[in-house]
Amino acid sequence: MAVSTRIARIEKLGFAYPEASVSALTDVSLELERGEVVLVLGRSGSGKSTLLRALAGLVPHFHGGRFSGSVYVAGRDTRSTEPAALAGTVATLFQDPEDQIVFEQVTSEVAFGPENLGLQPGEVAERVESSLAAVGAEHLLERTTRDLSGGELQRVCLASALALKPELLLLDEPTSQLDPEGAKAFLELVERLARERGMTVVLSEQRPALPLEICDRVLFLEQGRLLLDAPRAQGIRWLEESAPAFVEPFETVAEQTGAPGEAICRMEGVGYAYQPALPVLEDVSLELRRGEIVALAGPNGSGKTTLAKLACGLLEAQQGRVERHGRASYLSQDPGRYVVCERAEDEVALGIEGDLVRARRWLGELGLGGSERRHPRDLSSGERERLGLATVLATEPDLLILDEPTRGVDPGRKRELGELLRASASGRATLLVSHDLAFARSVADRVVSLAQQEVPVVA
Amino acid sequence: MRPLIALALLGACVVAALVATHALSLLLLAAVLLTLLLQASWKRARLYLLGIAVSSFGLFLIWPLTAHVGSHPLWNGPILPVIGSIDVTSEELAAGAVQTLRLATVALAFAVWALRLDQDRIVREVRLARRSVLTVALATRLIPTLERDAAGFVEALRGRGVVVEGMRGRSRLLAPLVASSLERALTLAESMEARGYGRSGRPLRTRSHLNWRERAALSLSLLLVVFSLLWL
Repeated sequence: MAVSTRIARIEKLGFAYPEASVSALTDVSLELERGEVVLVLGRSGSGKSTLLRALAGLVPHFHGGRFSGSVYVAGRDTRSTEPAALAGTVATLFQDPEDQIVFEQVTSEVAFGPENLGLQPGEVAERVESSLAAVGAEHLLERTTRDLSGGELQRVCLASALALKPELLLLDEPTSQLDPEGAKAFLELVERLARERGMTVVLSEQRPALPLEICDRVLFLEQGRLLLDAPRAQGIRWLEESAPAFVEPFETVAEQTGAPGEAICRMEGVGYAYQPALPVLEDVSLELRRGEIVALAGPNGSGKTTLAKLACGLLEAQQGRVERHGRASYLSQDPGRYVVCERAEDEVALGIEGDLVRARRWLGELGLGGSERRHPRDLSSGERERLGLATVLATEPDLLILDEPTRGVDPGRKRELGELLRASASGRATLLVSHDLAFARSVADRVVSLAQQEVPVVA
Repeated sequence: MRPLIALALLGACVVAALVATHALSLLLLAAVLLTLLLQASWKRARLYLLGIAVSSFGLFLIWPLTAHVGSHPLWNGPILPVIGSIDVTSEELAAGAVQTLRLATVALAFAVWALRLDQDRIVREVRLARRSVLTVALATRLIPTLERDAAGFVEALRGRGVVVEGMRGRSRLLAPLVASSLERALTLAESMEARGYGRSGRPLRTRSHLNWRERAALSLSLLLVVFSLLWL
């Protein structure tokens, strides 16, 4: 009997989350072949994550909501098969590795899936070792998950997924927290594993350049509808015509006008260590002037965030000198998580002595007009990111520091962010901490690379 | 020693602490548990110790004021509605000290469980009530996560120039902290389900024989429970 080459089939899938007024997916139909790498693109909120969750059976089983159409994975209808029962066939890697860690020990973490499958201890141990080896993380076997870097944690999560020996691997923005080198290595690894094991990989991404090099097929979603399902070359041509932001390199948003003004922040020979024996920064100097945008790049763990915190005064330098003039505001990574008020306008007004008029103006500037009275946690992830941005822009600081502002942001929104930053750059100094070199180069006047153990180099 | 045996020993300590009536017995148990706790990293242990100290001291203060026993008054206070007379007797102080020691001992046992035992192994080895054990293990791991999230909130607010100071300032963070934890918990639950958690078919573990230390620890647990029920 011939073995089917199809691993999944989606027929006229429609889905709306509970209490949502609009559908997350509408009339989506597609088929996935064994061994292919499929890239899912689309703007924030277009339904990419929902599509992956539908393939894992988490939609509708875990989330509830209104579901129509059908999804078959390895011949099983996901409506009548629980996600846990699909676990040996499907594995999912979610966006934030920290939020999916169950155990303290790496070994236990990777063993969790195979143990849930009810495998014999010997086979569990064998799968743990082989999965960690497959992702080049066998040296982490004896480590604890809380001591791992973001990149290491991502590899352990991938190993945990591979330990299930899935036929279908779903990756939801897996490289959003990795630096360009880490992201490249991760995607190459995924491609190699897919080819070697004949595993189908479906991945969604907001930085499409690298995944577009390795994928076989491209899907494009817009407002829950599947606009494109085509082989790679054809898909790229379609993107060039219909969604150019996803394929075109960023261009300089606007040239700086005039020379930069006075120094707002001057750091000379600064050093910092969270643990005495492990300095994160040593003898680093950087000057930020009014009117200029400086991007701080460098690999994971090179001390970019630490330097940003020193610049705005959240940390005190243990060595060297930091001189700062005027007000500094800092937007942390993942700002959507750290909302404290019950209304969006109150959240923005918090940093400006309760000035609701100014708060509403900034919400409007960032496209959140009409959401002033909504609870920040009811906003979509993209809206929450913009709310975070509004909270710091509203303070009208002399020094604005944004830590990874493009994480999880689609190319279109990135362009809008770049334009916004450039348009208002003249009144302040701006420091951008970013892995996203394309974005950094398009917006910044200077890109400062902070390589580990090296004095920064101005590029 | 496998963590399940150590857990049995700690359970026996908790039973003994709950049934013991002599302050000296409780003091001895607390001292043993404190010694064990102090062998964990000080950075992690100090949070638990602070919590134990604050709650125990609070109980010691409240107990004599709310209890109404004894005939040797040390201080006569006013009579309050509902509560009655606020006085302190030497008997109430003694009883308060015993209750304080009891609370501290139970809390120390929990801290030792949280910081000294390999909870991963407990969850993986347990055969009964695996879901409940996993829930407790995850709840325990929530404490450092909450600590990290709280620091994130304070930092995010300071980044906007909002100073978080004092009990009032920090208490404002409580609700968002809980909301953030719930969001994390949902993602974790989703991830666990995607990895087969809750699937029918139990994880299989090979049975291995207990070594002499483990047998001794189990016997000691049993003895401690019996001894505490009869004599402590």
